[in-house]
Amino acid sequence: MALRPIKNLKEFSTANERLEGAHLLCPGCAHSMIVRELMNATDDNLVIATNTGCLEVSTAVYPYTSWDTSWIHIGFENAASAISGAEAMYKARKRKGTLKDPDAPVKFVAFGGDGSTYDIGFQWLSGAIERGHDFTYICLDNEVYANTGGQRSSSTPVGASTTTAQAGRVSYGKKEKKKDIVAIMAAHGAPYVAQVAPNKWKIMAKVFQKALETEGPCFINTVSACTTEWKFDPKNTIEVTDLATDTLIFPIYEIVNGTELNILYRPKKVLPVEEYFAAQGRFKHLFKPENRHIIDQIQKDVNERWEYLQRREEARV
Amino acid sequence: MSKGVLATPKRGIRELGAEELVGWDEVTQGTILETFETEVDNVAHIRPEERPYSDFSSYTATVASWRVIKPVYNRDICIDCQHCWVWCPDTSIVSRDKQMLGIDYDHCKGCGVCVEVCPTNPKSLLMFAEAEEPEVALTKWPEKKKKEK
Amino acid sequence: MAEKMQLNEVEVWDGNLAAAQALRQAQVDVVAAYPITPSTPIVENYGYFVANGYVDGEYVMVESEHAAMSACVGAAAAGGRVATATSSQGFMLMIEVLYQASGMRVPLVLTVANRAVASPLNVRGDHGDMYAGRDSGWVQMDAFNAQEAYDLTLCAFKIGEDMRVRLPVMVHQDGFLTSHTAQNVHPLQDDEAYKFVGDYKPYEEMLDFSKPVTYGAQTEEDWHFEHKARQHKALFDSAAVIDEVFEEFKKLTGREYKRVESYMMEDAEVAIVALGTTVETARVAAEELRKEEGIKAGVVAPRVFRPFPFNEIRDALANVKAVAVLDRSAPMGAMGALFNEISAAMYTTPNRPLITNFIYGLGGRDFPVSEAKRIFKEQKAHADAGYITTPIQQFSGVRGPKLGFFETKRS
Repeated sequence: MALRPIKNLKEFSTANERLEGAHLLCPGCAHSMIVRELMNATDDNLVIATNTGCLEVSTAVYPYTSWDTSWIHIGFENAASAISGAEAMYKARKRKGTLKDPDAPVKFVAFGGDGSTYDIGFQWLSGAIERGHDFTYICLDNEVYANTGGQRSSSTPVGASTTTAQAGRVSYGKKEKKKDIVAIMAAHGAPYVAQVAPNKWKIMAKVFQKALETEGPCFINTVSACTTEWKFDPKNTIEVTDLATDTLIFPIYEIVNGTELNILYRPKKVLPVEEYFAAQGRFKHLFKPENRHIIDQIQKDVNERWEYLQRREEARV
Repeated sequence: MSKGVLATPKRGIRELGAEELVGWDEVTQGTILETFETEVDNVAHIRPEERPYSDFSSYTATVASWRVIKPVYNRDICIDCQHCWVWCPDTSIVSRDKQMLGIDYDHCKGCGVCVEVCPTNPKSLLMFAEAEEPEVALTKWPEKKKKEK
Repeated sequence: MAEKMQLNEVEVWDGNLAAAQALRQAQVDVVAAYPITPSTPIVENYGYFVANGYVDGEYVMVESEHAAMSACVGAAAAGGRVATATSSQGFMLMIEVLYQASGMRVPLVLTVANRAVASPLNVRGDHGDMYAGRDSGWVQMDAFNAQEAYDLTLCAFKIGEDMRVRLPVMVHQDGFLTSHTAQNVHPLQDDEAYKFVGDYKPYEEMLDFSKPVTYGAQTEEDWHFEHKARQHKALFDSAAVIDEVFEEFKKLTGREYKRVESYMMEDAEVAIVALGTTVETARVAAEELRKEEGIKAGVVAPRVFRPFPFNEIRDALANVKAVAVLDRSAPMGAMGALFNEISAAMYTTPNRPLITNFIYGLGGRDFPVSEAKRIFKEQKAHADAGYITTPIQQFSGVRGPKLGFFETKRS
């Protein structure tokens, strides 16, 4: 296992990129920031499976591929199964001695958006985690079906307006709470589960490396700010992500072996959630007088959630 | 148009969609794409400008036409912090040996993230109109801003 | 190394065990599967082999058939031998990925114990699942008994993995009638069987890190058509390799397979075209009718359903006067699929026999020799009259008033 040095960015920047440019992701998309960082975190060979979604349709449109590693896309829901199969084949061929280079280090990785992770590919992911394949699944969570034009997913947070959970005269957008995918994956007994954000690059790189190093199935939820569907200027991707982590809308933490919860980032100054909402068009209706109570409710939920995570961390459960 | 730093004869040689449309007998079996023309010995150890990219790698394509504004890099101010490198979504900040060398204008889409995350004062990267020559842009660089009290 | 299994010259195996033994002998690298009646014992038998050291490969028990086929595609792209098994609803759940497997040109073998498709739910054998696979881009071969299920499964690896083919292959057998009926099977010994199948030859494998490959790229209107055209041609072209493999198998075992199996067709005046165990029923009926009533009856059976043996069907039926095409699948608002394909082939010949369609055996309804005989006799009546004397599509063996559709147009 060859991990890249990540002590500081200068060292990290000596990595030789394996995700090529001229992919078709929107300008300012956080997906590729996250994918690049994962690929740059190790020098090992990678076999990557990707669910249908923005990343997939943008990085492998015939006759081009942006991947410098082995890569497969089958369907919307089944990257976890595809990587299971590839990993099983690796084990079988290693045992039988039919690999071309049996000593070459390799890591198996799957990417999916929140649509394919929280919703349509949920069962496939659950099965692959339960079976204990040695792989890392990374959810690029932009809280919406961005590839198909902004429909709600079970990751879309309360109050966001999407094309299928619209804010309107009698609606404040999505009413249902975001699914807690991290807790669900931890409950599978996965050896390593975490939630990270690309603005905190070093924490994210460390978490990626920990996941790649850990034998068995690991799940990482990454916050991926979407300029198109969250409706902010592409240049502000990191600024919006800063607001996500510093309002504690997206707490950054890990759960080891399903029990040991560690908070990985504590904002020096916790910001009110409305600063995060104000930076994005998808929440702008929440500032109407009749919807202000939703902001208050979300603030309360975020506070309670942060309390809960801290209690768990303290209690070592 | 400037190709940017460390351009190679392969990088960004064609617009997306400008590739030759071949017949059914010439498309790849199973839609499978090979990234490289020849075998590589762990690509993570090979610098992009030294890799044998095939025409199927998007490295050989350009998205320069997506830009209406572009980042211009000012080496004199840069502290090589690599913020722009780590957060560039388009693999378009060219850094080698811990040094920021410049921008890959074949793959930069002009999102402006690099400028936003640049911590120097004044910034070492600024957005200019696409048509602006970088040499000219450098003459228009702002002075160091005084901290507001 | 996996343990070898000493086999008797004649084993008493049902179709499921026969298929499982073929998978074991082919030394499959990854079996990813999900159990479903009536193919479950294929996976269970294989599980026994795994648990007792007869298998070196990985055995991945996934959470659904969709995941099973997805894992198979991922495994196949990783450059090794892959197989799975399914039936009916499981087959239907796999369908999305069946198309993806063939589109990516990955060889893998799917053993199918055919079963009806709900609703209403039914676990018995008909060909609803097999028919649902007919546009999926796979080679589809059909076994009529346990011996054939074994033989064809071995052949399937060799066909699909051939560098000239590189396509996934299904081997069908009738649920219960074949899958659960113990019959005499003459197996090859392990070494012989493996030697016939041969070592797996990787192509564009994801585990060759010196040559990274991208599987599953998107193609839009400027590329999709060319890829599909190439894939279609590859499937048609596989016919020549199938013939070669059958020839080689015959040399090894003396058992002969053809893409279209003809039985007593040399002088036949009337014929039944069918798939699955019904072929054997029809053969018995033809023999008896020839003896009892002197009707020159014969049976034609597509051994290979895809690629459809258009030419071989035309040759097989070149001289008959009347043909009954039997479809064991609910056609739902159309003529039976096999009827349509046989008719299309025969329409382009000078002979143009009278062709009728029987829908029969749905949900495992028995199809007795007596009914096959009755159908032959009906064909004889058409032949004698020179036109179709009954509705063109009829239901055979269903209770209630006689059910038939469309009359022949004589003016």
